Amino acid sequence: MNRRDDICGALRRMLPDGCVVDSTESMKAFDSDGLSAYRQVPLAVVLPETVEQIAAVMKYCHEQGVKVVPRGAGTSLSGGALPLADAVLLGLGKFNRILEVDYANRCVVAQPGVTNLAITHAVQADGFYYAPDPSSQIACSVGGNVAENSGGVHCLKYGLTTNNLLGVEIVTIEGEILRFGGKHLDSGDYDLLGVMTGSEGLLGVVSEVTLRILQKPATARALLVGFEDTGDAGKAVGDVIAAGIIPAGMEMMDGLAINAAEDFANAGYPREAAALLIIELDGPEVEVDALIERVEAIVRKAGATSVRVSQSEEERNLFWAGRKSAFPAVGRISPDYLCMDGTIPRRRLPDMMRRMNSLSQQYGLRVANVFHAGDGNLHPLILFDANQPGELERAEEFGADILRSCVEMGGVLTGEHGVGVEKRDLMNIQFTEDDLKQQQRLKCAFDPGHLLNPGKVFPHLHRCAELGRLHVHKGKLPHPDLPRF
Amino acid sequence: MTDIVISDLQQAQDAIQDAVAAKSRLELRAGGTKRHLGRAASYDAVLDVSAFSGIIDYQPEELVLTLRAGTPMEIVEAALAEARQILAFEPPRLSRILGEGAPGASGTIGGVIAANLSGPRRLTAGAARDYLLGFEAVSGRGELFKSGGKVMKNVTGYDLSKLMCGSFGTLGVMDEITLKTLPAPETARSLLVGHDSLIDAVSGIASIFATAHEPGAAAILPQTVAAEEGVDLGMPFTAVIRLEGIEASVADRLGHLLALSGGEPLDADRSAALWQRIRDIQPLAERPHDIWKVSCAPSDAPRVMAALDPGLDVRMIADWAGGLLWIAGTSPHIGTALRAAIAGLGSGFAMLIRDVGATRESIAPFQPLSGPVLELHKRVKASFDPLGVLNYERMHEGM
Ligand SMILES: Cc1cc2nc3c(=O)[nH]c(=O)nc-3n(C[C@H](O)[C@H](O)[C@H](O)COP(=O)(O)OP(=O)(O)OC[C@H]3O[C@@H](n4cnc5c(N)ncnc54)[C@H](O)[C@@H]3O)c2cc1C
Repeated sequence: MNRRDDICGALRRMLPDGCVVDSTESMKAFDSDGLSAYRQVPLAVVLPETVEQIAAVMKYCHEQGVKVVPRGAGTSLSGGALPLADAVLLGLGKFNRILEVDYANRCVVAQPGVTNLAITHAVQADGFYYAPDPSSQIACSVGGNVAENSGGVHCLKYGLTTNNLLGVEIVTIEGEILRFGGKHLDSGDYDLLGVMTGSEGLLGVVSEVTLRILQKPATARALLVGFEDTGDAGKAVGDVIAAGIIPAGMEMMDGLAINAAEDFANAGYPREAAALLIIELDGPEVEVDALIERVEAIVRKAGATSVRVSQSEEERNLFWAGRKSAFPAVGRISPDYLCMDGTIPRRRLPDMMRRMNSLSQQYGLRVANVFHAGDGNLHPLILFDANQPGELERAEEFGADILRSCVEMGGVLTGEHGVGVEKRDLMNIQFTEDDLKQQQRLKCAFDPGHLLNPGKVFPHLHRCAELGRLHVHKGKLPHPDLPRF
Repeated sequence: MTDIVISDLQQAQDAIQDAVAAKSRLELRAGGTKRHLGRAASYDAVLDVSAFSGIIDYQPEELVLTLRAGTPMEIVEAALAEARQILAFEPPRLSRILGEGAPGASGTIGGVIAANLSGPRRLTAGAARDYLLGFEAVSGRGELFKSGGKVMKNVTGYDLSKLMCGSFGTLGVMDEITLKTLPAPETARSLLVGHDSLIDAVSGIASIFATAHEPGAAAILPQTVAAEEGVDLGMPFTAVIRLEGIEASVADRLGHLLALSGGEPLDADRSAALWQRIRDIQPLAERPHDIWKVSCAPSDAPRVMAALDPGLDVRMIADWAGGLLWIAGTSPHIGTALRAAIAGLGSGFAMLIRDVGATRESIAPFQPLSGPVLELHKRVKASFDPLGVLNYERMHEGM
């Protein structure tokens, strides 16, 4: 018997029937996530049903030195859930129950495999909702949301997952079940809840979440604003915020994205505009009506060439229909596309647009842009055809250049999609070797054997013993230049 | 004890590397207003970072403020006020109850971050930890490192900013930090609602939060405190609900909530004054009492309070809809009773904030951690500061 058979046999013995998937054919369903250019069949797939079973799997893998890749719904756009040939893929799909709705404390306790939208569905009849709303919300899991610290179009006002998460239960690589946070607001110790959020499955498996829910705003209205010039649109965004207004969402699309979306959704977008803003305000009716007027005046002053204000819920939804279908719409005009996710200081938007145009020419590939403009988070969609030899590589290089530019302009590599395998090798553009070493030391505190989701996020894996070594400057004299009193 | 005064992270590196070589223990200090928070540990020298002061870059329309960690809160608040912005987590001035630091000292932004201090708006807007976007620091290894960034949305690498908030200087010496700012609300007014019991007050607030009238903060004052603050409604408890926003909106929502709850309005000036006192725990400040901070699920507040024997003679105010309790008194048994109550609830913590006698010698100021979580904390601490050079044992024994 080889090692793989041993492992699968052991996993079978600790899990109920049907919880271990190890035929190559059936494992194909798990061989990639949303970054579908990368595929790999794992060693085995396990689909445990209880926390104790997760713990048993982890304990076994830890003892045997077997790697583990956690997986939620597999919608990650950065390859975070990409399997490894020598790792067990731990799927949380069976953890699909909402455990408690607690209106007195305005929170929901759920298993990690519950979809993002299911949280809102569970509480909307009572007027509540869960604020973070990634476009993938019908599919992505709340455990995956925690692991990626996912955002959405409303995070300008309502924050990312990290700002809406009260507690987690996790299973460590040793198989220990720990809780960070709960229904109370502040943790009195190291904020390990905060550290788990956005840790991309490298620190522990999230086995339960406690999410903050909010009362649904009384009303929401949106403006659809066209500009001849992206610079004007960027300025309008800054002007709205400078006027003390934080819209619920403030999204921008460029010409190519506007037209692709319009073809797809017939939302009534101004096809001739170089940039389109969707600005949504939510809250009490009097407030929304007053702010809509203020925002309208601001965008007109900033040079808007067309302004429409939603007069009904249907019209507001129509404004969003184009934006929300931007990805599939772009999918229709190109066989393949890569979705990038850098963030820049908002004022650099015109520079970034110019840079992208010249890169687009240089690489001979088109790029369509949708932005979370309010917070400077870019989603350039690079169009390519994977059947043309070399195009995927060219698209990836184009993407890497965009992300390099983001960092050069004072921004970061990823605003909400995570590093995964996709941006792993770019990490040293944003971080020094010492920055990355400190992050990896934290990893060592949770997983000294590098068994959890290895090969993701960090370009080089250093052994924990090596990372822990202290370089003491032996015999060095105390610094004479420091004043001592 | 020696004072090592440093003015930048280069010097911090030198000083910490010296401490590593000498295996000595340093106490980090900026304003000094919060140095009596936590365990009474002893150190070989003070690392004085009060010179890390000043605003580096402030872009109000980007909602981003980059400054040095030792910047006094007065300076931070003045700069924000000029741009009509705020730190939405509403940092309290604990210097008023701690009475430490230089006279009139407001504390520094670094102290606020290190202690993860948030005020009334934390209930709806998040804590200090939700507003730290990035930082640069020197670890207890004497290495310079940064994390996060200067933009609002960023998931690149682990979120070490969260870890620095509430780490009480045990992980690194921060210099440059970047915070997210928000526009100041145009106006704020409050609503006072009388209740027969704490249970009623907590559930009354919960029902207000189940409306779409967007309450932003909610505190509960027992009658004695309400009377001293001039908001006595003749009931055992008074709930204070704050509404913020543009004038038309606040007036409209206040109208609805008054009709719904039968409360009384509080005008903008009185509302501002009362919330500042609640934020700074002023109603409990004057008497020579120990002060405990309890964070619990809001609906558990009555059970926590019920666990305190009436003979303990405590004063309290509640904030965060009941999720934050400030409890003052002189008995050393208060802490024991609170810890037992929290153990029974299974979530939350009780921390000793002010110690007027020697309470912290007999009971741990930080909520003790369970075995495996404590072990993890120790490993996290060691990953930044393996020899325990920085604020050793300030939070927990052995780390
Ligand atoms: C069409 C489309 C639109 C999208 N729009 C957005 C958007 O608007 N905003 C946004 O932020 N993202 C968006 N995403 C990205 C993606 O949906 C999110 O990152 C999502 O949170 C991933 O959840 P998942 O359950 O699919 O996780 P997976 O893809 O299964 O896993 C993602 C990562 O989390 C880890 N992980 C998953 N579950 C757990 C767990 N229980 N414990 C520990 N680690 C775990 C995995 O190891 C992996 O590293 C989009 C994706 C698609 C395909």
